[in-house]
Amino acid sequence: MYPAQIGYYKPQNVGEALEFMEGNDAKILAGGQSLIPMLKLRILKPKYLVDIGELAELSFIKEGEETTIGSTTKHWELASKRISGLEIIQNAASKVGDVQVRNVGTVGGSLSNADPSSDYPAVFTALDATMIIRSRRGLREEKAEDFFKGPFTTSLDPSEILERVKVKALKGYKQVYKKIVRRAGDYALVGLALAIKIDSGMVKDARIAFTGVGDKPYRSREAENEIKDTKLTDSDISKAVEASVKGINPPSDSRGSSNYRKEVMKRLLKNSLEEMRNAS
Amino acid sequence: MKVKVNGVEYEDEVEPRTLLVDFLRDNLNLTGTKIGCDTTTCGACTVLVNGRSVKSCTMLAIQANGKEILTIEGLSSDSKLNPIQQAFKDNFALQCGYCTAGMIVQAHFILSHERDLSEEKVRDMIHGNICRCTGYQNIVNAILDASRRMRA
Ligand SMILES: Cc1cc2nc3c(=O)[nH]c(=O)nc-3n(C[C@H](O)[C@H](O)[C@H](O)COP(=O)(O)OP(=O)(O)OC[C@H]3O[C@@H](n4cnc5c(N)ncnc54)[C@H](O)[C@@H]3O)c2cc1C
Ligand code: FES
Ligand code: FES
Repeated sequence: MYPAQIGYYKPQNVGEALEFMEGNDAKILAGGQSLIPMLKLRILKPKYLVDIGELAELSFIKEGEETTIGSTTKHWELASKRISGLEIIQNAASKVGDVQVRNVGTVGGSLSNADPSSDYPAVFTALDATMIIRSRRGLREEKAEDFFKGPFTTSLDPSEILERVKVKALKGYKQVYKKIVRRAGDYALVGLALAIKIDSGMVKDARIAFTGVGDKPYRSREAENEIKDTKLTDSDISKAVEASVKGINPPSDSRGSSNYRKEVMKRLLKNSLEEMRNAS
Repeated sequence: MKVKVNGVEYEDEVEPRTLLVDFLRDNLNLTGTKIGCDTTTCGACTVLVNGRSVKSCTMLAIQANGKEILTIEGLSSDSKLNPIQQAFKDNFALQCGYCTAGMIVQAHFILSHERDLSEEKVRDMIHGNICRCTGYQNIVNAILDASRRMRA
């Protein structure tokens, strides 16, 4: 399978990329692990590709009170780096696709692609991350929660590049990304990004976000509220578990029915909360 | 574009849409790399680009411009099998052989990056490579065996 004929442009920096994209029917090429399959199937037929995959200015992990991650940082780089207070990112990165996909695919590509079953969108939503987006008009910032609009849809317009992602470290939080799949290497049937802060036996903060259960990452504030300021007793956990599936209607597809997904959400959250409680 | 494949420099013109696997097979006649699924699933087309394994059916040739590529042909020299190839042979880790080139290149990547290999780790790291014949057990054995041989 060949992509349709296409033009290729390799900019030397982000400025050149943005300039080229203006007024051209162009798509950004980062790792190509989602884009190239779509070009081969001819689902997408842009006139040009703008290859930002090698721009050094977009590939970095800067740790600090706030960690910033450049958009072309590859999955394997995140999978091999433990960022203090953000262990969940390493956790999620090591579960994306397979080794070969992780060797090429990028975090910015995954976030911009916004596949409703992909892993990072839920994680960065749970982390309250800020997306930093550049266009020729300048920079703008957007909360992860507002960035994801629907299946394969974000707030990016065709003249914009997701430049980096900014996240505050969740110091002292227990955090985990769990992914349920039917076969190794699959996209998530359901994925859960969970972080809780327990202080003297009390839950001080909670972040609960799912992937694979709707057309974009699903943050369940109701479930979070059920466990905040509690001792995380069995009854607190079951209230949160019930709340987590309220008001959500997961899709039915070849990976699982809507009800099955709800059941998986509940088990996943229950088991993960119990594990965190028992480990504290 | 310019690439170094298995230590040899090549210069060629390609259309931007040319996939790396087709470039290797059709332009350079390196047909050891196979096309299995053509959809990024099976790993038969695995090659190393600048030392990291990739599925060459899902990379444009032009993305490899200026880089170093290793294919299955580059693993052995003077018709002598390399230790991974030998281990695959000794452990009966192939039947039809279609997945084998990609499997061995991926094994090469694993062995050059992981020190403490366990069966579980090997299984995790080859899950991007599908074999329809062997049931994987002998492949896993072969990779663990190769790791012992290369350390000995
Ligand atoms: C076999 C296989 C299994 C996979 N399994 C998983 C999985 O389990 N979980 C998961 O989450 N993902 C999975 N993926 C997808 C993988 O994570 C991709 O790497 C990722 O979705 C896209 O990243 P990329 O760098 O390859 O982007 P590309 O494919 O290059 O781009 C994807 C899209 O984003 C746009 N884009 C890229 N970068 C930017 C940017 N900086 N600014 C604006 N737009 C941009 C492109 O124009 C394109 O539309 C899998 C992919 C494959 C092939
Ligand atoms: S042919 Fe490339 S992954 Fe199957
Ligand atoms: S040996 Fe036949 S597919 Fe692996």
